[in-house]
Amino acid sequence: MIFTVAVHGAPYAGQSNHHALSFCNAAADAGHLIQRVFFYHEAVTTALNSQVPPQGETDIVAAWQQFGVDNHVELGVCIANGIKRGVLSEAERQRYEKSAATLADGFELVGLGQLIDSIANSDRYVEFPA
Amino acid sequence: MKNMVCVVSHAPYASSHSLEAIEAAMVGAVFDFNVSILFRGEGVWCLLNDQDANLLRQRSIAKVATALPTYDIDKVYVCSQAMEDTGLGEADLCVPVTQLSPEEQGRLINDQDIAIGAQS
Repeated sequence: MIFTVAVHGAPYAGQSNHHALSFCNAAADAGHLIQRVFFYHEAVTTALNSQVPPQGETDIVAAWQQFGVDNHVELGVCIANGIKRGVLSEAERQRYEKSAATLADGFELVGLGQLIDSIANSDRYVEFPA
Repeated sequence: MKNMVCVVSHAPYASSHSLEAIEAAMVGAVFDFNVSILFRGEGVWCLLNDQDANLLRQRSIAKVATALPTYDIDKVYVCSQAMEDTGLGEADLCVPVTQLSPEEQGRLINDQDIAIGAQS
């Protein structure tokens, strides 16, 4: 089955982000195809390359990156939600003349249209609200 | 054509959830989904006429919602229980709506291929 997954919750806050990651790994392990993960609302901060995980806790960013690489899944970050929270690709850094690009490797800034397009081409859409 | 419902259950300016759910509905319409939108709980306040979001330095959500028909989204539903709880009448709202009981909302969501925001 083809899935599109949307994550709403920030990493290290509540269960949304962690549950989404566990779901994606479990679905992929069971042979399903995760077509795209869309990080929305506070979840866009998952893609910040400047965050340091608390000692003894899972490195959520690295875990998502690993999931993306292992399963060839696009990790899409809502661009409108992302840039207002400081998640900038090199292109956006230049556009807004900021000092650093903060988008972690393996993530991509995309529009809401990419979420809807992916949903249109999936069997199931699963949301992990904050 | 897939059927999609966007559910708006957050108060208009407490977070960006409501505005973004309305925008998702519009993008869905652009992608040729058969879109319905359901306002329930605190979400019904999004449709209140005469909002002045300038006071909050934000965009007026009612102004955005008023554009729903221009995206050919005319299936605009509100929770009848929320209307009663808030004391709002249809004349207080910025777009024509159809009221649905909680049971009817269940059927509406069940009839869709995709539900956005249905749990939050």
